[in-house]
Amino acid sequence: MVLDFNSLYAFPGRFERLFEDFFKPQFAEGRRLAYPPLNVSEDASAYYVRSELPGLSLDSVELTLTDKNLVIKGERPTEQGKYYRQERPAGFFQRVVALNVPVDRDAVRATLVDGVLTVTLPKCSECLPRKINIEVS
Amino acid sequence: MVEASAAKNEAKPLPRVSPATDILEREDGFYVYMDIPGVRREDLKLDINENELVVTGRALQGASEKETFLEVQFGPGEYVRSVSLSDLVDRENIKASLKDGVLMIHLPRMEKASPRRIPIQTV
Repeated sequence: MVLDFNSLYAFPGRFERLFEDFFKPQFAEGRRLAYPPLNVSEDASAYYVRSELPGLSLDSVELTLTDKNLVIKGERPTEQGKYYRQERPAGFFQRVVALNVPVDRDAVRATLVDGVLTVTLPKCSECLPRKINIEVS
Repeated sequence: MVEASAAKNEAKPLPRVSPATDILEREDGFYVYMDIPGVRREDLKLDINENELVVTGRALQGASEKETFLEVQFGPGEYVRSVSLSDLVDRENIKASLKDGVLMIHLPRMEKASPRRIPIQTV
């Protein structure tokens, strides 16, 4: 009825779309292996872990910081109704980010804006290498 | 410097992504859900031409220039998806809302033309 594959209607761009879909790589550069996708980056002051979690509020995402890991856990709900097409992943998900670096554990913050989760892990200032002066008495 | 990089971003087209879409039917019509994380309301467009509803949205991930990436599994992109509409859909009352990166479009069913008798007026 409202489906994309409805062929009762003449589509202006139907064939073009078919070709476009055919030549499009199925997985963009071999990504999308695990759900949800993660980006990990760093700058001078912090590490950032970003993830696409559309449809979830920050309350329904469980973030756990253990000794060595950051665990992102949650569940995506399914909608009620008669499905014609279901592409959005649903159900429980979990991703574990191994932290092999010291972070300032008390200053870790997380935000979720427009379905993108950002966890900021500040670098630990006390853990940075520093010079120790040896005084000769 | 900032302007130059902005111009460079404009020139380079974003990769086109087809967003994951659910289409389902309930009592009061059809519902379309699309996962478009990272798209703000200002960057989202919904157009109806003839029998097609076209959704376009730009997701610009808010990473600063100074960051170096250790792992990249998603990135900025342009979400494009079209859904064909049947004659059953009441086009005047289509509603859309965007919450937490999920676009919900409600396509209400057209009121059934109920059979009625036409009164004959005597002149």
